[in-house]
Amino acid sequence: MDFDFSDDQSALREAVQKWVEKAYTFDRHTAIVAAGGFDRAAYNELAELGLAGLYVSEDDGGMGMGPIEGMVVMEELGRGIVLEPLAQTLITSGVLGGYAPAELKAAWLPRMASGEALVVLAHQERKARYQLDVCTTTATQAGSGWTLSGTKNVVPAADLADAFVVPAMALGKLALFLVERTAPGVSTRGHHTQDGGRAGDLTLKDAAAQLITTDGLTALEHGVDIGIAATCAEAVGVMDKTVAITVEYMNTRKQFGVAIASFQALRHRVADMKMQLELARSMSYYASLKLNAPAAERRAAMARAKVQLGTSMRFVGQQAVQLHGGIGVTDEYIVSHYFKKLTQLEMSFGDTLHHLGEVSSRMQDTAGVFA
Amino acid sequence: MDLAFTPEEQAFREEIRGWVKANLPADIAHKVHNALRLSRDDMQRWAKILGKKGWLGWGWPKEFGGPGWNAVQRHLFEEECALAGAPRVVPFGPVMVAPVIMAFGNKAQQERFLPGIASGDVWWSQGYSEPGSGSDLASVKCRAERQGDKYIVNGQKTWTTLGQYGEWIFCLVRTSSEGKPQTGISFLLIDMKSPGVSVRPIKLLDGECEVNEVWFDNVEVPAENLVGEENKGWTYAKYLLGHERTNIADVNRTKRELERLKRIAKAEGVWDDLRFRDQIALLEVDVVALEMMVLRVLSAEKSGKSSLDIAGLLKIKGSEIQQRYSELMMLAAGPYSLPFIEEAMEAGWQGDFPGGVNANAPLASTYFNMRKTTIYGGSNEVQRNIVAQTVLG
Repeated sequence: MDFDFSDDQSALREAVQKWVEKAYTFDRHTAIVAAGGFDRAAYNELAELGLAGLYVSEDDGGMGMGPIEGMVVMEELGRGIVLEPLAQTLITSGVLGGYAPAELKAAWLPRMASGEALVVLAHQERKARYQLDVCTTTATQAGSGWTLSGTKNVVPAADLADAFVVPAMALGKLALFLVERTAPGVSTRGHHTQDGGRAGDLTLKDAAAQLITTDGLTALEHGVDIGIAATCAEAVGVMDKTVAITVEYMNTRKQFGVAIASFQALRHRVADMKMQLELARSMSYYASLKLNAPAAERRAAMARAKVQLGTSMRFVGQQAVQLHGGIGVTDEYIVSHYFKKLTQLEMSFGDTLHHLGEVSSRMQDTAGVFA
Repeated sequence: MDLAFTPEEQAFREEIRGWVKANLPADIAHKVHNALRLSRDDMQRWAKILGKKGWLGWGWPKEFGGPGWNAVQRHLFEEECALAGAPRVVPFGPVMVAPVIMAFGNKAQQERFLPGIASGDVWWSQGYSEPGSGSDLASVKCRAERQGDKYIVNGQKTWTTLGQYGEWIFCLVRTSSEGKPQTGISFLLIDMKSPGVSVRPIKLLDGECEVNEVWFDNVEVPAENLVGEENKGWTYAKYLLGHERTNIADVNRTKRELERLKRIAKAEGVWDDLRFRDQIALLEVDVVALEMMVLRVLSAEKSGKSSLDIAGLLKIKGSEIQQRYSELMMLAAGPYSLPFIEEAMEAGWQGDFPGGVNANAPLASTYFNMRKTTIYGGSNEVQRNIVAQTVLG
């Protein structure tokens, strides 16, 4: 039982922190939002730091690192509300590395690690909400390959990604496929998301696809769990900075002749925000520490973590805006952007109610971290 | 980072588990597991069993006869005791006054008082709060006037937990009214059999007499019973409050009680009511998050590499969770938590509780009793002040 970071992990954190502070300023963030919500150049800078290859094995040109390194990186990206979806790369490289045939790995993982190829998960369907086993997209065998038909929504950076990991029904069973954006039969329609980032629809009409695995649900659940752990870590970074911004504001803003940080009603609210932040940090650790556990244990842990993180994100985000007063609801001031990022992360990979249902249906007679 | 305990820690846990299983009297465990009334004898019997093994002072260093365990070992010991159904050790002697005597008492005091605490033979009480000094503890008025080689103590203490059984009491007394209130307080050890000490139990909302008022009427206390220096008592009191930081979260007992809540929910048929079960699920997440927070503090203490200033959070969250599980237990029984039959809260009661489930008898009483947790040990509002101070300055 040890929650200290290694020297290498601390060095990794510092490297990402330095990039965020120097290269990903609020001005740049604002410019990226205005230009559509995704900047390939910024993504490539992350790749140059080696982060796109974090979960890619060293043999495939990556860093071959684990969940704690992923957590450290995502916390720091969260602190800077970075829009480029590195979590997607952690998911898709994890899924390809864990479940794809050798030739598919060889064709994609080195290019993903270098940043040359951005591959995202395209699993959201209209009728599924947050359920992973609900899928109407179909896969048909065509010669030695497959073709896919169906529509996926809210696909991160859909119109700018290079390929998609797509769940589809093949012979009555959920399978996972890789689809290239430039393949015939693939069309995308991009849009902004709440947080200023980019997503889009992915429409497949007999689109050429390569099979990743016929055990699609297992791989998809694993991928989504990588996404949940990454989201939890990212949220901790966002909340950490949100609390810091709020504290700084409260110590400078004066009303009735004194800093508003002197009012007890507001001080207790900040204490409650700190509580939610530390509970969230604790459960983010828990999620990342359980990411390599057996599937059932891993799934249960992610649900528990996401309930806490969702609750914390909602509270910290809303209270940060409230404690800022009028300036908190403007687009010009930074805190509203942190609030919107938290709102989006709460609804990513299953919201609080969804995961509460998961916790509720998985409850055992025993209780606690080790039960 | 690693969530698992080391093989050595696991082996330590097994050793404790085996010993507790072999030595905890079954009748006491039965009472604890069912929230039935514990007598003075129950509490003292278990304390003396621990004392004989040398584990009543489980947080003590070796030089004072303790086992010298680190933070993680102490936690594992507490967890195994709690899960097995051991009664909570009355903390005033081994957990509260002993560390103060070790840190600030002189050798004569250490030799005189520590053996009786370690063995469980002497029952200690805490004399902190007064009618006019609750959250504002530094305002204590109970006076100790130096006359030659003794102090004359006059005043009143209150909320003295289990003080009706107390043989000795450690008190914050006022020895000076000059300067700031904090600078005129001394830490005095008082024999409760001294002439002029009187104790009156206070009946609480659950019908139990868990706390007392204690009066001091010209009580003579030998000056040798002063711990450390005169007027430095506030420093010692703060040291005491900072001791055993993770203990106050009480997460181990809470895990045991969450398991009990699930049993009650099943017996009462609300386990299958999703609206109810989701409330248990929320509590389960809370408990895991609290336990993770406790483990983070323990890890930081063990490695000494990082420090975590979240003790106030542990108290707030731990106490809120205790209230919540007791509330959900009562709600699970629903109308069958309404009958309030005192005899039914005693072990061995042969009657039939209305509805036929005797386990429902103490649920309302426990819920009432748990209201104290957000008030004692520095109310949760005071804790929020402390947390806000660390965040906002």
